[in-house]
Amino acid sequence: VPGPPGKRMTVLPSLLALLLAAAPAVAGPPDAEAPKQDAPAQGDIFPYPWQQKTLANGLRVIVIPTPSDGLVSYRTVVRTGARDEYEKGSTGFAHFFEHMMFRGTVKYPADKYGEIVTRMGADSNAYTSTDMTVYEFDIAKDDLETVIEIESDRFMNLAYEEAAFETEAGAVYGEYRKNRSSPGFVLYEAVRREAFRKHTYAHTAMGFVEDIKAMPKKYDYSLSFFKRYYRPENCVVIVAGDVDPEPTFALIEQYYAAWKPGYVAPKITAEPAQKKPKRVEINYDGRTLPRVAVAYKGGAFAPEDRIWVASMVLAELAFGQTSDIYRELLLEQQRVESIRAEPASDRDPELWSVGATIKDPADVEAVLERIEQTVVRYRDELPDAALVDSVKSHMRYDYLLGLDTPASVAGEVARFVGTAGELARVEVLYANLAAVTPEDVREAARRWLVDAQRTTVILREAPPPDPTKLDPAKLDKAPKGAG
Amino acid sequence: MTINKFTMIAAALLSLPACKVDGTTVQGDGVDTTTTADTPAPANNATIELPVPAEPSVSFAAWFKVGSQDDPVGREGLAWLTGELIAGGGTKQHPWQKIVELLYPMSARWGIRVDREMTTLGGRTHHETADAYLALLTQQWTEPAFDAKDFERVRSEGLSYLEKTLRYSSDEELGKAGLESVVFRGTRYAHPAVGTVAGLQAITLDDVRAFYEAHYARDRVVFAIGGRYQPDHLSALEASGEALAATASAPAAAAPELAPMKDKQLLLIAKPGADASISFGHPIDVQRGDDDFYALWLANSWLGEHRNSASHLFQVIRDVRGLNYGDYSYIEAYPEGGFRQMPPTNVGRRAQLFQVWIRTLPNEHAHFALRAAHRELERLVEQGLTQEQFELTRDFLRKYILHFADTTGQRLGYAIDDRFYGIDGSHLERFDKALQSMTLEQVNAAIKRHLHPNELAIVIVTGQAETLRDAIVADQPATITYPSPKSEAVLAEDQLIGAHKLGVPAANVSIVGVEEMFAK
Repeated sequence: VPGPPGKRMTVLPSLLALLLAAAPAVAGPPDAEAPKQDAPAQGDIFPYPWQQKTLANGLRVIVIPTPSDGLVSYRTVVRTGARDEYEKGSTGFAHFFEHMMFRGTVKYPADKYGEIVTRMGADSNAYTSTDMTVYEFDIAKDDLETVIEIESDRFMNLAYEEAAFETEAGAVYGEYRKNRSSPGFVLYEAVRREAFRKHTYAHTAMGFVEDIKAMPKKYDYSLSFFKRYYRPENCVVIVAGDVDPEPTFALIEQYYAAWKPGYVAPKITAEPAQKKPKRVEINYDGRTLPRVAVAYKGGAFAPEDRIWVASMVLAELAFGQTSDIYRELLLEQQRVESIRAEPASDRDPELWSVGATIKDPADVEAVLERIEQTVVRYRDELPDAALVDSVKSHMRYDYLLGLDTPASVAGEVARFVGTAGELARVEVLYANLAAVTPEDVREAARRWLVDAQRTTVILREAPPPDPTKLDPAKLDKAPKGAG
Repeated sequence: MTINKFTMIAAALLSLPACKVDGTTVQGDGVDTTTTADTPAPANNATIELPVPAEPSVSFAAWFKVGSQDDPVGREGLAWLTGELIAGGGTKQHPWQKIVELLYPMSARWGIRVDREMTTLGGRTHHETADAYLALLTQQWTEPAFDAKDFERVRSEGLSYLEKTLRYSSDEELGKAGLESVVFRGTRYAHPAVGTVAGLQAITLDDVRAFYEAHYARDRVVFAIGGRYQPDHLSALEASGEALAATASAPAAAAPELAPMKDKQLLLIAKPGADASISFGHPIDVQRGDDDFYALWLANSWLGEHRNSASHLFQVIRDVRGLNYGDYSYIEAYPEGGFRQMPPTNVGRRAQLFQVWIRTLPNEHAHFALRAAHRELERLVEQGLTQEQFELTRDFLRKYILHFADTTGQRLGYAIDDRFYGIDGSHLERFDKALQSMTLEQVNAAIKRHLHPNELAIVIVTGQAETLRDAIVADQPATITYPSPKSEAVLAEDQLIGAHKLGVPAANVSIVGVEEMFAK
């Protein structure tokens, strides 16, 4: 069972030791009843001062004052996502809860809750990913206490009837159908299904389609899911924008102190090593250019490991906008419409993958070959140092430019903390990024871009149906992609 | 509600050539705009400035007064292709690949939006890199190379968007584009900004050069700058205007004149295997700046605030009945609704439409959902809002609009739109003021004046075009069943919805194969 990322570190630079001392991890019994004041953290990359406190029940709170005109962003991160859905037949529940959390409590039933949110003119939403579920409120600063009250209430006291549960299950299936009409989603779903045999990363955050369809009958299971994962030790509250830390901590303590701990960690099975490359072709029931994904088994999120940080540089360097393959295939020969690589950056080892949309169906094999040649080259050769520096600069500015509003600051911190556990690790990440060398990049390619651990998926338009076997009435009725 | 990781990947793999603007846009505080409604005052082309010294970045925009309505007949897509080539092609200084490489270490980019009437190029960079960024950006419009390879690449992106993305993997955008093609039929608003397949194929590089020469002139551009910029940045931006021709040789396009809509019209876009995606609406003649616009805005927010569960249509169709993922309504153009939470900027238009968007649902529920939405629209026009609904929506909007313009780039976008509409001051501030004194009577009067449930264009993308056509024309009660029990009240209302007549005359119905959409 993979533990929290902090416990699996193989490399521990001195800087990290320092930061961990300054911002202790929350695991373990709280040592006092009063909220714990963690030392304010300041580093080189994160551009705003921030403070963190941990309540006696384990809930962590991060407050980040940023320049903003009366706006505040409030995020609640539940460190539970598709990854935590380990029980067979019950995938998709993390996402399903994202929906159910809008169904109200005894104190604030759905319509009353809705009216309060509406009257605040809040921009409120939620999303679910592989590792987390994040609840979002962007509000005027005067409404902060109201949000703290209704958020604490629904996290502590969510209540819903079976009928509302079943209705929402229908909406979730509708969302799946909407996503299934995108070839990008169909490919993404297939890559995960093929690449993982044991680990929960085999399914997307939507869940397997058969599980989504069966959801309406799993009311009781939904209650147990909530009890296990929606606990203070598994959550982080982030407040950014026009706020003062001290009164904000006090308000959050006031409303959340009664929340009882009781988190039960999921029993996730580690993915066994892949022994040989896989290759799968799938059909898309609509029109699309062919798309390919070449996915290697990558590492888990590990900013302390400079080679893992180098694997992020590698994705940009080998397949980003300044790469040879991008220039050749996209700009010069115009054989692909898009090409890019995504590094593996989730809590558990995930996929380091290259995706491309190819203009001519006859060109698929040649493009795949060119992608594999690129991988071989980065395993064999040292990359140009100036190009590595350019990528590092790009990644640094990319991060800084993404922190321009309370919503983007709170959103980015939520996403980071959801995976990393501690915001202080962002300083480790960018310190290590600055130190990445061409040798590190080559080492990352050698460690993770291994042929035997490759999964290739090719998506093409479905061939036209055989007219001799066609039953028009039946075809007309088949919901697209529902099979 | 969204699924984070795959939307990112899906968006990355999906080509949306008309949607590259880098989050550019919102209201300009203290922008000096002076125009009068009656006398055609000289165009106010002064640069829009929005200094924010505490911000780490600098935002720029250039609004060119040209758009897809200026496409010559048979060259639909020319404004789009010209704009995209300016924003995404090489200059006389550098080939495009070199520009990409120079921008790359800054992690900076720019984007362009070409709409019916406006072309806006804008972007943002860290203040440490602003000098180099601005030098590159201004060369895009002062010294475009119009390279043949860039031209083929961009055109092929446009064709792929029409032939693959819009027709086959984006049913909701297709439905909305279809609705505009019906409502604006016979005008230069009817084709999508990206053009048509035949139009794009007919365009030559010489057409692009000539279009640029005729439209990209000093008297047709307004610059905007904001964030942590220096005086040098402002002067360099303005100097780039001096490098353009002083006056445009192309005449300014007239506003489209729409034929009045009669009855209800139904277009079914037949797409094998597709679920149903529905859009319906009609032209409206109110605009930002008009008093009625703000009253109608409130009414529309109650009926269908975009991607907000407060939307009444959302409540009826999604929340209570779970038929689909969301149901919304609009009184201004709102492209890429599925990809954005807050309204876009720089899609200013002199002709607007009211529209309802019913997100994708199973074909067997399409007739019922259409009736439900139409019934709610009819009830809104007949009964108006209640005092309670009015007050709640008013309170909601007064705070909700704070989120419309939370970046400097967005504020620049709103300030540009204020110029477009000739609004003295700021549109969002004006709305806030209007809300302070607005009455229920004004709102209900605006609803009656501007919403017309009997004069509608309805467009449905569907895999069951003929079945749906027959059901809608026959106007027999639509029935619905649910996988889970529903309350008596819901079931009773279902009877009323099912029996609600749409009244679409058989003669006003057409079915078009998806492959014919935007062919020419």
